[in-house]
Amino acid sequence: MNRASSGQRRMVIITLAIAGVWAANALKLNPIDLVTNNTSIIYDFFSRALSPAMDYESDVPLGTKPLIVKTLSAAWQTILFAAAAMGISLIGGVLFGFLASSSLMIESARGTVKYITVTLYGLVRFLMALIRSIHELLWAVLFLVAFGISELSAVIALALPCTGILAKIFSELIDETSRSAAHAIRGGGGTPIQVYFFVLLPQTIPDLLAYSFYRFECLLRSSAVLGFFGYPTLGFYIAASFENLFYGEVWCYLYTLFLLVAIVDIWSNQIRAELKL
Amino acid sequence: MNAARGSLCLKNVTVAYQGIEALAEVSLTLKPGEAAALIGLSGSGKTTLLNTCNALIQPTNGAVSIDGKKFSEMSSQELRYARSRIGFIHQSLSLVPNLRVIQNVVSGRLGQRSFLGGARDLLFPSTNVVEKVYEVLDSVGIAEKIYERTDRLSGGQQQRVAIARALFQDPLILLADEPISSVDPVRAKATISLIREICKKKGLTLCVSLHNLDLAKTFFPRLIGLQDGRLIFDKATETVGANEINKLFNLPDGCIDFGPLTSKPSMLGKSLE
Repeated sequence: MNRASSGQRRMVIITLAIAGVWAANALKLNPIDLVTNNTSIIYDFFSRALSPAMDYESDVPLGTKPLIVKTLSAAWQTILFAAAAMGISLIGGVLFGFLASSSLMIESARGTVKYITVTLYGLVRFLMALIRSIHELLWAVLFLVAFGISELSAVIALALPCTGILAKIFSELIDETSRSAAHAIRGGGGTPIQVYFFVLLPQTIPDLLAYSFYRFECLLRSSAVLGFFGYPTLGFYIAASFENLFYGEVWCYLYTLFLLVAIVDIWSNQIRAELKL
Repeated sequence: MNAARGSLCLKNVTVAYQGIEALAEVSLTLKPGEAAALIGLSGSGKTTLLNTCNALIQPTNGAVSIDGKKFSEMSSQELRYARSRIGFIHQSLSLVPNLRVIQNVVSGRLGQRSFLGGARDLLFPSTNVVEKVYEVLDSVGIAEKIYERTDRLSGGQQQRVAIARALFQDPLILLADEPISSVDPVRAKATISLIREICKKKGLTLCVSLHNLDLAKTFFPRLIGLQDGRLIFDKATETVGANEINKLFNLPDGCIDFGPLTSKPSMLGKSLE
């Protein structure tokens, strides 16, 4: 590390600090705002964190499913929406990741990069940026207005930005991968598509999996929030219980969501450990 | 395809990177089944020369042809076919580390396979393919490693995987760029001897770049000397004189050992001041 770049680093840190203070000032952030008169509500809500409800906090009609069963089925719905969206996004991410990477530009047969390749690359990157710049919940609202409550549109709403994000990350992972094996296979007559799927993609699989699992966690959270729009995921019941001030039930649902994310995390760790062997 | 037998011809090949010539007016011909060693210092253009032979590098001037057909005049299909019959062992081995040995070997034949055929070979190889891979691995002496992950193998074993991958292409021409740079001296000799024998047995045209002069002289009937991208000599090994070798390696006359190559005492003294 030479003198010039350490000076540069100092400048960056100072600039960031100034920007942070300036932004906080512009937003008129004040810790006093957190102190309110509603301390009892805050207390009620957070005190139930230690004693989440195991049963309904109000009388329910006879024959209603027990709270635990309802929670589990809501969790299952949450997983279903997330998994369906993940499936679509993975396929989309791998395909568009190929087009958004420079794989097609590896030493084309004549040694020159074709204009059509570059155009396609730019077009796909633009498209991916477009679909991921709109949050999945925003997509869900748009689709809700257009199609009403429909499972398919909910899944597509989740899948669209996720595809955009995965395509971007995948393409960049591919571009960071060592090209030496790719050149070798290209020199042996392999096509760019073969090189992408059989040489470059395998090398990125550990990172690719780790990131996909993280995206799956994000989808689980978003899928839960979809419930606020009326889909039968955890969010639906969280909203209902919250409105009725049944905080114990809310915590029951929140802990279930936490459990889902934790399970995905453990699962991801296991698979990645196996891949390292 | 016409009766392809593996002759390789470079005619006045010049390769320039931003005006700097890595290869200048090089012409040479390898007849089918011929074996030659490419010698010269680092940066003399050996790698560039070999890379023009499977069209990974396009010459700025001149032409490279395989069995009389110029790369520059081939259609994409023809180029793909020609490349699929040229095995190349790279200096950095260029294997996919987290794939199994069998998958790396099979990927050598991707040039002769469709996309789905290639996918099948890699994921669900038929018994026939497995047997062929086993055979090739057996010929390089690591058949028992067939299902091992490639990055778990030693440098020497990975070297053999790279050779097996090139052989699995069923090539007519085998090119090797410093194939022994990652193995110890004993292994180096065994590796060169192995490559040489396989090529002899199968009648493959062979061109190997080496910086080990002894091995080049021992195993190859023909030496090609490169210096600063220029062809200095190209003749039968026994006719190459000591002064030609000295000139090639920038050594003073009458000095064949490599001692002075490392550093000059006078320069060492200067840098200490």
